[in-house]
Parts: sequence; C-alpha cells; structure tokens
Amino acid sequence: MASDVERGEEEEEESASEELRDRFRLCTISIAETEAKRNGMEISQPIMACVSDLAFKYAKQLAKDLELFAQHAGRKSVNMEDVILSAHRNDHLSASLRSFSNDLKAKEPQSDRKRKKVTKKEDKAAKEVLHIADS
Amino acid sequence: MEENTFDPELIRAIFRLVWEKRGAEREKNQHSENEAEAGPSTTKRSRLTTVNMNALKVSCELLRVLVAEAIQRAAAIAEAEGSLKIEATHLERILPQLLLDF
Repeated sequence: MASDVERGEEEEEESASEELRDRFRLCTISIAETEAKRNGMEISQPIMACVSDLAFKYAKQLAKDLELFAQHAGRKSVNMEDVILSAHRNDHLSASLRSFSNDLKAKEPQSDRKRKKVTKKEDKAAKEVLHIADS
Repeated sequence: MEENTFDPELIRAIFRLVWEKRGAEREKNQHSENEAEAGPSTTKRSRLTTVNMNALKVSCELLRVLVAEAIQRAAAIAEAEGSLKIEATHLERILPQLLLDF
C-alpha cells in the first residue's frame, strides 16, 4: 500500500513537471526567436525544443544549487546574492547579474542615503545628456 | 522593459517543485530513522526553502541570458557557414563552452 501511495505521488510530480516544462517552453520560444531575429537567423523546431529542455534542466539544477547556498549561509530563504554566486563560473556573467541586481535594489524604496545616491547619479546622467544634446 | 524574459512565478513554481521533492526525500530518510513522527506535512512546510521576488527576477535574468547566449553563439556559427537557419550541428559546437560558462 505504501508503494501505491508513492507511485501516485510520483505520477502527480511527473504531470506537474510536464505542465511546467510546457509553460517554460513557451517562454523560451519567445526569447529565442527574438534573439534569432536580432541575428537575422531562423531556428529549426527541434533545436528550439533542445534549447528549451536544456534551460529547463538548468533551472532545476539552479534550484538545487540555490537551496544549498542558502542553507550553507544558515538561511531558509534564497536571496539575490545566492543567485549571483551560482553564476561564479563566468566573470562577465556574474558582473552582469550583479549590476542587474543593483538596479533592482535602487528601484526599491530604500533608506534616505541610498535614495540620495541614486538621484545624484540620475542628475549627473541627465546633465550629460543635455550637454550632448545642446552641442 | 524592451526585453521579454521568463515569468518569475513560473520560475518560482519550478523551484518549489524541486525543493518539495528534496524536502520529501529528507522526510523519507528521517522517517526510517525515527518511528514515531507527528505528521510529514507540517514538518515539510516548516523546513521548505523559499525565494524572494528580487532573487526570482535575477534568476529569470540568468535563464534569459542562458537562452540568449545559446542562440547568439549558435547563430554566429551558422552565419560563418553561410546558413540562414540554426541547426543541430551549430548548437552542438557551442554546447561545451556554454555549459562551462554557466
């Protein structure tokens, strides 16, 4: 009887995984086709499925890594630093993710000090743009 | 945002699926150790890993870059060969370095 319950649970997991994989594939197709068009290319359908399955497996692998990192830090909740750490193999990638995460942090309503920093940067950037536009 | 990216809630669902499975494995191993256990569901929930929205967004970005890099690199090979379509042979050749980078 215990094995029947287990088998039932496994089947439930399978169908849940399948549903997520299909939804994931739709997202991947959208991103991949935009990218291919940008390079003036078409993607063959089987390759589309390959890339999607690869990214899906990677996402599951990522989940495992993130859980391990958070647990290692004594936390139950995964944060941005964990994600950035998981990209440690490629410096460009981790730098890009770090700047992405900094932008996210800047958008949040934070302490006054951080808000001042952001506005200073924005003022500078705005002034530079005006200067270029004038000349 | 000009770029389209993965849906954070979809990624959260995928993460949860993995974490629930891993949680269940841990529960199973514990059960074989102690006979009297109150209820697996309550202990699972209290130990389950969660993720905050910003971390989800960065994860979406990571996955988006993975897909974009795969396509860009394969497209470069296809273009060098004068092809207009990305095929298996193009993807094959970029796969090793891609997996090393991510």
